[in-house]
Amino acid sequence: MTKLKLALYWASSCGGCEIAVLDTNEKILDVVAIADIVLWPVAVDFKYHHIEAMPDSAIDVCLFNGAIRSSEHEKVAKLLRAKSKVMAAFGSCACFGGIPSLGNLTNRAEIFHTVYEEAPSNENPSRTVPKTATTVDGHHLELPETYDTVMTLEQVVPVEYFIPGCPPTVDLILKVVSALANNSLPPPGTVIASDKSLCEECYRKKEDKKITRVWRPHQIVPDPEKCLLEQGVICCGPATRGGCGALCIKANMPCEGCFGPPAGVLDQGAKLVSAIASIYQASGEEDVSRMLDEIVDPVGRFYRFGLAHSLLRRKRMTPPGTLSAAKQPLAEVTAR
Amino acid sequence: MNKVTIDPITRLEGHGKIEIFLNDEGGVENAYLQIPELRGFERFCEGRPVEEMPRITERICGV
Repeated sequence: MTKLKLALYWASSCGGCEIAVLDTNEKILDVVAIADIVLWPVAVDFKYHHIEAMPDSAIDVCLFNGAIRSSEHEKVAKLLRAKSKVMAAFGSCACFGGIPSLGNLTNRAEIFHTVYEEAPSNENPSRTVPKTATTVDGHHLELPETYDTVMTLEQVVPVEYFIPGCPPTVDLILKVVSALANNSLPPPGTVIASDKSLCEECYRKKEDKKITRVWRPHQIVPDPEKCLLEQGVICCGPATRGGCGALCIKANMPCEGCFGPPAGVLDQGAKLVSAIASIYQASGEEDVSRMLDEIVDPVGRFYRFGLAHSLLRRKRMTPPGTLSAAKQPLAEVTAR
Repeated sequence: MNKVTIDPITRLEGHGKIEIFLNDEGGVENAYLQIPELRGFERFCEGRPVEEMPRITERICGV
């Protein structure tokens, strides 16, 4: 059998998705039994020019992790798209923007200011910030452009499959490997996880769908048997796709939402707001106002892993004209 | 002048590119390590509740 050609790439990411692949332990041998790896920066030495020299569609499958944060990420995403028959968004950052897309609550100028000018560990009297082109001692050097707005992979190139998770679990990765080995990939557009919400696979008892207040973690020790949301702990379960086996729940921690919205849910945060609003016992404006005070940092709570993918997409850029605009206007956001 | 570009740097965690400028004799005149990667955790952690920090900052590096 001809071996598949497999590429693994990281854009704006932490490397956790690469480690998840290695967490398959000896099963990684199943991967190399069916596939030759043509690009995997963390583990093997191939350069961009090797990929550029390949004919189009020479790569069978590209597992792309990380969000699109810079012109380099966009360029490599487009290069790998052209060279790959199948493009899969691997992990929450590629699927939904992930934690890096919390950067959509700010912009490039603010990030550069904090990181290069304000950070107490910096010594930068000349207030140097990264430039896309500069000359040092007569040598011309270039850096990619950092964008104002973090994007998902699908917002820059067509994507066939979505493998969510921060990081994707070993079980899901092995499911993908097995589908590749048996040539039994699901129809394009499939999210390789459960279609249902995490609550469907959560073992906790759900009884009394009423809460009278929302607790922060330091204010409560939750009962490990009962539904966390019914105890007043914000759990993203009702608005999050299942498929992880309720890992965080088993550690008595609420679901963080890393698998993104379940099938049929357009906006994860809106779904969670709806779930909380439907169980919070409020009899008047005073109660509602108290509830809002109890939920600190709603955008960070409800869109922790998916701001780029959400309907909100980003904080409005202000003042207009002084900073480069978001790559695509909000009106162009479409539902998957 | 000749230039050698190593892009990307591989077999490590993180993104990097090296530009090596050679002189007329072929020796190294200057070499630059560039990190074409920034996410801005320093900025977007500001103002978030303390309980979010373990969830957010563990994603600085997942290795």
